[in-house]
Amino acid sequence: MRHLLKCTTALAAFAISAQLAVAGPETVSGPGVNPECFAPWSADTKFFQWEAKEGPYRVAIVNGFVGNTWRIQMIKTAKAYAEDPAIKDKISELKVVSTGTDAPAQLGAIEDFINQGFDAIVTIAVSPDGFDRVIRLADRNNVVLVPFDNVLDTDKVMQVNEDQLTMGRMWAEFALEELKAKGVTSGKILEVRGLPGNSVDRDRSIGINEVFEADGGDWEMVSVVGNWDDGTTQKVVADAIAVHGQFDAVVGQGGSNGVIQALKDAGHPWVPVAGESENGYRKAIAQYSDEGLKGISIGQSPGLVAIAMKAAVSALEGNVMPQLISVPLPVATYKDLEDGKNFWSDLPDNFFTVNEFPPCGVNISGPAIMAQDESDVN
Amino acid sequence: MRQGRLTRWFFQNVGLASALLLFAVLFFSYNMMHPRGFSAAVAVQNANETAAIAFLAMAQTLPVLLGGLDLSVGAVMTLTNCIASELVNGSPAQILLGVVATLLSGAAFGLMNGLIVVYGRIQPIIATLATGAIAIGLALLVRPKPGGAVDGDLGWALTNSVWDFADTYGIAGGGDAWWIRPFADIPVPVIIVLLVTILVWVPFRRSVTGRTVYAIGSAEGAAFMSGLPIDRAKIAAFTLGGFFAACGGLYLAIQTSSGNADIQQAGAYTLNSIAAVVLGGTSLLGGVGSAVGSLIGAGILRVISFYFRILDIDPLLQPLIEGVVLLVAVSFGAIRTLRVKNKLDLFR
Repeated sequence: MRHLLKCTTALAAFAISAQLAVAGPETVSGPGVNPECFAPWSADTKFFQWEAKEGPYRVAIVNGFVGNTWRIQMIKTAKAYAEDPAIKDKISELKVVSTGTDAPAQLGAIEDFINQGFDAIVTIAVSPDGFDRVIRLADRNNVVLVPFDNVLDTDKVMQVNEDQLTMGRMWAEFALEELKAKGVTSGKILEVRGLPGNSVDRDRSIGINEVFEADGGDWEMVSVVGNWDDGTTQKVVADAIAVHGQFDAVVGQGGSNGVIQALKDAGHPWVPVAGESENGYRKAIAQYSDEGLKGISIGQSPGLVAIAMKAAVSALEGNVMPQLISVPLPVATYKDLEDGKNFWSDLPDNFFTVNEFPPCGVNISGPAIMAQDESDVN
Repeated sequence: MRQGRLTRWFFQNVGLASALLLFAVLFFSYNMMHPRGFSAAVAVQNANETAAIAFLAMAQTLPVLLGGLDLSVGAVMTLTNCIASELVNGSPAQILLGVVATLLSGAAFGLMNGLIVVYGRIQPIIATLATGAIAIGLALLVRPKPGGAVDGDLGWALTNSVWDFADTYGIAGGGDAWWIRPFADIPVPVIIVLLVTILVWVPFRRSVTGRTVYAIGSAEGAAFMSGLPIDRAKIAAFTLGGFFAACGGLYLAIQTSSGNADIQQAGAYTLNSIAAVVLGGTSLLGGVGSAVGSLIGAGILRVISFYFRILDIDPLLQPLIEGVVLLVAVSFGAIRTLRVKNKLDLFR
C-alpha cells in the first residue's frame, strides 16, 4: 500500500514537472524566422519559441465586434486564406466565432477552444487588458494565442499589428512632399481623426502632427473627428470646408470615401489627400490624379488575419518568432494604382483593397475574397 | 402527498420549470458534443462566462417584477467594474474593503434610481436611461483608459474550481483535505452566485418588502389599498438591483483583473439581461417570476452561444441563428396562452 502511494506520488510529481516543462513559449534570442514577413517591432522586441508540434493544426478565430465591412472582410479573408494552397495542408480545422463586444464571452470562447484542444487561437481583443487568465491557460496547454489589430497591453503573447505611428508619419510626409512639389510651403491642413479614445487613433494622429510640426513651413492644422466612418467623415469634412473655405491638403485616418465625396460636393479644388485603403478612395485617386488629387493610400488591412494565422502556424512548427510582429505597411500612391491589381473598379466602394503581403506569401486578391460564399469551411 | 406538492409547484412555476428543462436539455447535449464534456475545465469555463450576465439578470429581475425596466444595469456593472479595478488590490484587508466599497457604490446607485423613480415620479425606463448615462460618465471618469490592477491571486482563485481556490490560498491542505474532495470540481463562480442568491435574494423574497414588490407588479392599486409599503418596496427593489449589478461588475473586474468603461458592452449587457429575465419565465408585465428563473435564463442565453464553438456554423450567420433560437425559447414562455380559459386572462 505504501509502495503504491509512493508510486502515485512520484507519478504525480513527474506529471507536474512535465506540465511545467511545456508551460508556454520560451524566451530566446533572435533573429526569428522569415524576418521580411515577421519583422520584430523594434530592436527591444523579445523572441519566443514554442515546442514544435506535429501538424496539421486546428485553428480558431475569436472575433469580437462584427457588423462593419472591415470585420466581415476579415472573416472572409481568414476563410479564403485557410483554403490557400500554401497553408491548406497545415490547417486541419478552422473555426470562426464572433462574440460581440462582450469581454467575458470572448474570454470564454478562447478558454473553450483551449479546452477543445485547438492548437492556435487568433483573436481581435475587445479590450487591451484582462486576458491574464486565458494567457495563463494557453501557456499551460501549449496553445498559441495571437491577438492582432486591437492588440493587448502585454508582452506575454505573440501579437501582430501594423505600426500606426509610422502610418501617420508616412501620410504627413507624403502630403508635405506633394505640397512642396506644387510650391506650397504654408497653409491649412485638414486632419480627419478616427474613433476617440482608441490607441490606433492616438498613434496615427501623433505621427501626422509631429511630421508637420517638424517641418519648417507655417502649417495650420484643423482637426475634425470622423470616427473612421464614411458618413460621419463626409459630414465633418463638409462642415470644415464650409467654415474654413479651402485647405491645401487633407490627411484623413479613415472614412476616405467621405473625404472625397465632401470635397466633390463642395466644389473644393483637388488637393493632395492621404487616406486609408477603401476601394472607392483608390478609384477616385485613379480618376482624378491628373486634376490634382494626388493621393496616398495606406491601410490597416483585414488581411492581417492571414498574417496572424501564418504566424501561429509558424510558431507551432517550432520556429523562433518575435513577440510583437510589425507587418509592413501596404502603401500605394497615385503613381502605382492599377485597376484590377490594387483596386477594382467593379467592386464596391467600401471594400478594403489591401490584402496582399508579398514578403509573407499572402496573396489573396480582392475578387478571391468576395467570391467566398457563406457556406461552412471545415 | 409529496407528488402532489411537486405537481403544484410545477403548475405555479410553469415558466421557471420550462426554463429549467430547456436549460438542462441544452446544457446536457452541449456537454455530450463537447470533446471534453462533463469535465471540470468545461464547467469552470462555462461558469466564468455566465457569472456576470447571471448577476445582471438578477439585477434586472427586480424592476421587471415591479412592472418596469432598468436600462442602467449594464452601466452600473461597468461603473462598479471600473471602481473595483481601482480598489480591489493590496493587503487582504484592503481587498475586502475594496470589495465592500464596490458593492456599496452599486447599491447606492440603485438607491438613487429608486429615489428618482419614487419621489421624482418618473417611469423607471426613462429615469434609468438617464442615470445609466451618468453611470457610464462616472465610469469614464474613474477609468478613462482600460486597465487597472486587481489582485492576481484573487482573480485566479475565484475564476477556477474549488480545488484551485484552496490551492491558491493553501487552505484545506491545499485542496486535498478529505472534506473538500466532494466539492473540489465545482467552479467557484457557481458557488458565489448561489451564495448571493441564498443569502440575499431568498430572504428578500420572503420579507414583506419582497412580497410587496410582487404585489405592486400584479396590481399596484390593490397593493396600495391593502396598506403595503409601496415606496419602501420600490426603493428596496432598485437598491437591490444596483447591488446585484455591482456583484456583476465586481466579478467582471476579478475575472479580467482590470476595468474597462466600455459603452457598447454596457448596452449589450443591459439588453441581454432583459432577454435572460424573459427566458427565465418572468413576465415583463410584472408580478410573476423570480431571480432564480433569471439565473437559468442567463444560462440558456449563454449555452446557445456555446454551440457555435462546437458546431460548424458560418460566422456571419451566427447572430441570425442566435436570434431565431432566442425567439423560439421565449415563445415557450408564452405557451400558457394556449390554455387560457378566458380570453380576458391574456390581458393579465
